[in-house]
Amino acid sequence: MAERFAVLPCNGLDKAVGPLAREIALMVVEACRGELICPVLYNNIPALYAKALKLPLIVIDGCGTRCASKLAAESAGGGLKVTRKLQATDAFKEMGESPGEGLTPDPERLALCRLLAERLLSAPDEGTALGSEAAFAEPVEYATVTHDKFIFRIPRQAYLFNENHCWARLAGNRARVGISDYMQQELGDLTFCELPEVGVEIGQFDAVGSVESVKAVSDIISPVSGRVVAVNPAVAETPEIINEDPYVRGWVAELELRDLEGDRALLLDGEAYLALVRQKAADYRP
Amino acid sequence: MSDETFMGVPREKIPWFPTIDYNKCDFCMECDKFCPHQVYERREGEVKLVVAHPEHCVVFCRACAKTCGPDALSFPNKPETIELIKRLREEGDDG
Repeated sequence: MAERFAVLPCNGLDKAVGPLAREIALMVVEACRGELICPVLYNNIPALYAKALKLPLIVIDGCGTRCASKLAAESAGGGLKVTRKLQATDAFKEMGESPGEGLTPDPERLALCRLLAERLLSAPDEGTALGSEAAFAEPVEYATVTHDKFIFRIPRQAYLFNENHCWARLAGNRARVGISDYMQQELGDLTFCELPEVGVEIGQFDAVGSVESVKAVSDIISPVSGRVVAVNPAVAETPEIINEDPYVRGWVAELELRDLEGDRALLLDGEAYLALVRQKAADYRP
Repeated sequence: MSDETFMGVPREKIPWFPTIDYNKCDFCMECDKFCPHQVYERREGEVKLVVAHPEHCVVFCRACAKTCGPDALSFPNKPETIELIKRLREEGDDG
């Protein structure tokens, strides 16, 4: 007997991908005799699903707006723990297919939905391993750039930066990545942080997640290439951690490095990034 | 004339910005509402949205494409862009 899951899907009815997410959810629930959570009803009366949510949770988003993920992340008590997740638009794209235009899925797309549902049921759980904790726990020495009442901190050692204001902290053949103090202040109070999936291969300058504030959404552009070996569930649950401590507790993902020497040619060390922030800070308008 | 640079290369030499496929775009304006850098601009007439300020686009950012229901936005090939930046940096060093 397969493991049972609760499934929280996108219920978007006005875009072609919404009904696809819904079909995948129905197929998963049917196959594992799980529980379906209606996002609309859950948003209104979460208590109705208290029992269903005792099961491990699968979240299925339709489009990049990720309503279902956000609903899960913003639930009372620090958000729901997501065991597995899928975004239908990306999943279709990865298969070289498109979600089409019709609001009623055709037989070909239903077959693809079934394939995705089966994959979800056999996928590994979202990793939450914390990796080489000790190496990343060394104290950090900061330089600062001051402009008006704004103070931007930049670690002096062990960090590399790209000009997208993202950092990589190196430890052996691994690196943690996150966003800089400058970027978090520019975005303002963060309300959402999307983590990458553990196991996925990231190229240099690929998005390794995204952060969202009241002002804007921004991709987290990875300074380094490699495989995601761990993610930081704390920042998904409490994105404010990135505002409070962007360089240490606010790490987003940990990568096993693929080509650090190649990547390094296009990165800035602490001193060079300090110079860049100094230049940016001169005409900084929050 | 902009003196913006990215990775030591004048921004205008890096062709990184979205291209709108007008066969797919339904002018829902989600990308324009989303982008904080004023890359897009709305217009009167048949074509209601254009990429007016490609130089404002953040190199390697493709976040607006995620908001696009009809999948009408495309970006340049990333590895090719990285190679171009490397080449321009070397030329800059030589010059």
